[in-house]
Amino acid sequence: MKSRRTRRRFALNTAATVFCLVWIFPVYWMVNTAFKPYGDILRPTPGFLPIPLSLGNFTDALGKPMFGDYLRNSLIVTGTAVIASSLLALFAAVALTRFRFFGRRTFLITVLAIQMVPTPALVIPIFLTLKGANLLNTLLGLALTYIGFVLPFTIWTLRGFLHGIPVELEEAAMVDGAGRLTVLRRILLPLIAPGLIASSVFAFITAWNDYVFAYVEMKDQGHYTLPVWLVSFSTSTGVDYGGLIAGSTLFALPVIVFFLLIQRRLVEGMTSGAVKD
Amino acid sequence: MPPSETGARRVRRVRASRTPYLLLAPAALVLGVIYGYPLVRLLGISMQDYGLRALFTGSSPWIWFANYEHVFTGGQFVPVLIRTFVFCVALVAGTLLIGMFVALMLGSLGRRMRGAVTLCLICAWAVPNVAATLVWQWLFEPGYGVVNWLLSRLGVFGDLTNRQWFASAFSAFVVVWLLVVWQSVPFVALTLRAGLSQIPRSYYETAALAGAGAWTMFRLVTLQFLRPILLLVGILSVVWDFNVFNQIWILTQGGPDGGTTTLGIWSFTQAFSSESFGQGAAVAVVSVALLLLLTAAYVRRLISAGEEW
Amino acid sequence: MHQRSLLLNPLRVVLGAGLLAALGLGATACGGSASTPAAASGAKSGGTLTVWYMDGDLTAPDQAAIGAAFTKATGAKVDVQIQEWSNINTKLSTALAQNDPPDVVEIGNTDVPLFAATGALADLTAARSELEQGQSWLPGLSGPATVSGHLYAAPLFAGNRAVIYNKKIWAAAGITSVPTSYAELTADLDKIKAANPAPDFSAFYFPGEYWYGALQFIWDAGGELASNGGGSWTGALSQPAAQRGLSTWKTFQNTYSTPASRDVDTKSPDQAALFAQGKAATILDSSLNTVLKDNPSLKGQIGTFPFPGQNAGTSQPVFLGGSDLAIAAKSANQPLAVAYLKAATSVAVQKADIVGIDGWTPVSTQLIAQTSDSLSDTSKAFAQAAVNSVATPATPGWATIESDASINQFFAAVATGGQSPQQAAASFDKHLDQALNAAQ
Repeated sequence: MKSRRTRRRFALNTAATVFCLVWIFPVYWMVNTAFKPYGDILRPTPGFLPIPLSLGNFTDALGKPMFGDYLRNSLIVTGTAVIASSLLALFAAVALTRFRFFGRRTFLITVLAIQMVPTPALVIPIFLTLKGANLLNTLLGLALTYIGFVLPFTIWTLRGFLHGIPVELEEAAMVDGAGRLTVLRRILLPLIAPGLIASSVFAFITAWNDYVFAYVEMKDQGHYTLPVWLVSFSTSTGVDYGGLIAGSTLFALPVIVFFLLIQRRLVEGMTSGAVKD
Repeated sequence: MPPSETGARRVRRVRASRTPYLLLAPAALVLGVIYGYPLVRLLGISMQDYGLRALFTGSSPWIWFANYEHVFTGGQFVPVLIRTFVFCVALVAGTLLIGMFVALMLGSLGRRMRGAVTLCLICAWAVPNVAATLVWQWLFEPGYGVVNWLLSRLGVFGDLTNRQWFASAFSAFVVVWLLVVWQSVPFVALTLRAGLSQIPRSYYETAALAGAGAWTMFRLVTLQFLRPILLLVGILSVVWDFNVFNQIWILTQGGPDGGTTTLGIWSFTQAFSSESFGQGAAVAVVSVALLLLLTAAYVRRLISAGEEW
Repeated sequence: MHQRSLLLNPLRVVLGAGLLAALGLGATACGGSASTPAAASGAKSGGTLTVWYMDGDLTAPDQAAIGAAFTKATGAKVDVQIQEWSNINTKLSTALAQNDPPDVVEIGNTDVPLFAATGALADLTAARSELEQGQSWLPGLSGPATVSGHLYAAPLFAGNRAVIYNKKIWAAAGITSVPTSYAELTADLDKIKAANPAPDFSAFYFPGEYWYGALQFIWDAGGELASNGGGSWTGALSQPAAQRGLSTWKTFQNTYSTPASRDVDTKSPDQAALFAQGKAATILDSSLNTVLKDNPSLKGQIGTFPFPGQNAGTSQPVFLGGSDLAIAAKSANQPLAVAYLKAATSVAVQKADIVGIDGWTPVSTQLIAQTSDSLSDTSKAFAQAAVNSVATPATPGWATIESDASINQFFAAVATGGQSPQQAAASFDKHLDQALNAAQ
C-alpha cells in the first residue's frame, strides 16, 4: 500500500516538474536573452546562462526616445480604464441583480452577445465613431475604447458575485437605518472584493497590452503607449532582438509582479463569479 | 398622517423604478459608443463600397450585398471556415484538457510543488500577448531558435536546427497552437482548481463507500459539480479562440500561401491589405453571426434558467 | 433595442455623461497636458509645419538641413516626427483621414499610387514647374505620383541595391578582383564557401523572403512581375523567362546562403547585423549605414559592386526604391507645405544633403550626372547599379501585394522548396491578376 502511494507521489511530482519546466521555459528564455550582450544573442549554440551578464539591452531600450511619455500614457490610460470599468460594471451589476425592470433580460443577452465580436473588425468603425465625437488622438478616447471592451466581461463577473450575496443582508442593514451608499460600502464591497480584483485584472491586461487601437487612434507620437514602443524595435533595417526582448521583459514585469501579489484573491474572484452563475 | 404616508410611498416607488436605469446608464452609454454605434457602422460599411477613397472623402456608395456575394463566391470562404473551426476546436480541446489535468494535479501535490506550479502558471499568464508572441518567434527562429536546438539535441526527430516552422501551414499552426494553449491554460487551470476546491469532501466519501472507482467518481462527482464552471470556461475559450488574431498575425500573417488564414485574419487582410473595408466588414459580420449560432445553445440555457433572469 | 431608448432619455444621457466626465477627469487633465505640444504644432499657430519621415531613410542631420533651408525661405518652423515602417499604410490611412492631419508625409514610392488615387493627397499639378526646377525627375519616383496627368507628390530621394562584401573574408579565400559576370561571382563564392565551413556562415547571405533582391534575377533573365496590356495587369511569373530567373535564384540562394535563411526576411535576423558580425561574407543591400552602425571597426574593409548579370559586363537590373514627399489634402498649411517640398527637391539640398550627407541617389538624371564624381568609392557601385533600374507595377493595387506579404511568401515557398517555381508562380500570378486590377 505504502509503496504504491510513494510511487504515485513520485509520478505526480515528475509530471508537475515537467509541466513547470515547459511552462516557465519561454519566460526564462526571455529574461536570459534580455541579459545577454548584443553579439551573444545570435549564436547557433544557445547559451543557457547570460554570461557575461550585460545590462546593455535594457539601457538601449530605456534610452529610446520618449520612453517616459509612453510609460506615462500607458499608466494614465490603463489606470482610467481599470477604475472606470470597475465602477461602471459595479453599478450595472447592482442594477441587474437588485432590481427587476423592463429591459433587464435584453441588456444581459446583449452583454453576452457583444463578447463575440472580434475587436480587429471594429478598428475602422470605432475610428469613425471617435472621429465624429472629436475624441481621436486623445487619451480619453483610447481609455473609453478599453472601458467599452472590458465592460461586458466585468459586468458579467460582478453580476455573478452579487447574485451570490443574499439580499436579506442588505435589507437587514437598511432596517438598521443604513443608507444605500453605506450598504454598498460596508457590506457589498468587502464581499465582492475578489470579483472586483478579477475584473480589474482583466481591464488592466486589455488596456496594458493593446497595440492596434493605440496605434490607429493616436496620430501624435507623444500620445502613443508602451506596446507601440515595443513594436518600434522592429524597424525597416532589422529586428533588434536584444532590445526587443529586454523591452518585452520590462513591459511584462509590472504585470507579473501585480499578478503574484494578488494571485490568491484573483483565483477566488474568477471562480466565485462563475460558480454562482 | 395617511396623506404623507402615501406620498412617501409614491416617491419611493418612483425612485425604485428609476434607480436601475440610472445605475445602468453609464455602462450602457459607453457600450453604445464603443460597441453599439460602431456595430451599426460595421453593418453599414459591409454593404458599401468602402475603401480608402471613402475614408478620405467620406463618399461611400451603397452596393448592398455585393461584398457578401464576393465573400461567399470567391472560393476562399469554405476553406477558411473549415480552418477556423478545426483550429478553434483544437485550441479549446487542448486548453481544457491540459487545464483540467493541471487543476487535478494541483489538488494532490505537496505544498511546495503546488506553489511552484502556480508560480509558473501565473508567469505564463502575465506575459503580455505581444511580448509572448515575439518571444515565440525568437524561440522558433530557424538557425538560432533554442527550441530547434533542443529538439535536435533530443535526437528523436533528426536535425531540426534549420527547421522552417512557418514554411508549412501545419507546422505553423502547431507553433501558434502551442503559444495560445501556453497562454490560456493558466486561466482555465486556476479557475477549475478553485472550483474543485469547493467540492465537499463528503461527496467523495459517500461515493467511495458506494464502491465507486476513480473514474466513476471523477465522472459523477467532479464533472457533475464542475459543470457550470466548465461551461463558462468552455464558452469563453470558444469565443476567444475563434477570434485569435495577434498571435497568428505576428507569426505568420496568414501564410504560407494563405494556409493559416482564419476568419479573423481574412477580415483584417481584406480591410487593411486590400484596402477594402467593406469586404473586411462583411467577413466580420459573417463570423459574428457564426459565433452567435455556435453559442446560441449556451445562451438559451441561461435564459431558460428562469429565476436567474 | 431597449438600450437605445435608454440612451435617448435626455436626463439619463446627461447623468451618464456627467459621471463619465468625472471618471475621465484624470485622463482629460493629463491628456490635455500631453496634447499641448501637438496643438502648438498644429495648423492654428501658423508658424509650424508637421512633417512625417520614415524611420531609417533620411538621417537626422539631413532632415535638419532641409528644415533649415525651409526656415530660411519662409521663417516658419518644422516639427519632424519619425514613423515606423510596420503597418505604415494603416497609420497613413487613418492619419490622413483625420481633420488635423500631418502637413507633409514621406511615402515609399511603391505606396504612393494608393494614396494619390484615393483623394488623400493635395494636387500639386499647379506647382509642378516650381518644384521640378527644370530637371527631369526619375520616372521611378515621379511616375507613381502621377495619376491621369495630375501630380500628387514630389520625389525626395532614390535608393537601390548593390553587393556589399567583406574585403578581409574575400581576400582570405584568395580572391583578388571584383567579379564582373555572374559566372565569376559564383566561382568566387564557391571558394569562399569552401574556406568557411561553419554551418551558420553564408558566402552570400540572401534571405528567402528578400523579394527586392530576388526580383533582380527575374529581370536579369528577361522576365517581369506583371505585364500591362490594354489597361489591365496580368501576372507574368509563369512565363518562361521569369521561370528561368526564378530557378537561377533558387539555386543561388540555396547554395550560398544558410538553410536557416530560406524562410526569413532581411529583418529577423537582421542581415546587416550578420554581415557586421562576420557571419556573412557578402550581402545585397541599399546602404552601408546599418552595417557600420553595428560594427564601426569595419570601416574601410567593405567593398561594393553592382550585382553582375548573366551576360559578362552587364549588371542585374535593380529595383528602384525611394520616397516621395506629399501634402495631406486636409492640411491647413498648403502654401507652407509646398514651400517645404520646394526646399527638399532644390538642387542645393539634393546635392549637399541627400547625396552629401546620406549618400542616397538624387531625384533627377541631371543631379545624378553632376554628383557622380564626388561620390565615395563604396557609393559609386550603387550609382552604377541605378542606371539599370526597374519599378514595380504603378497601380494602387500593388500596395496590397506588399502589405499582405504574399510576395514574401511566394519567394519563400520557392526557396524552401515548399512549392516548385511553376506551382508557386501559377498561384501567385492569380493573386497578382486580382490585386493589381482591383479598383480602389
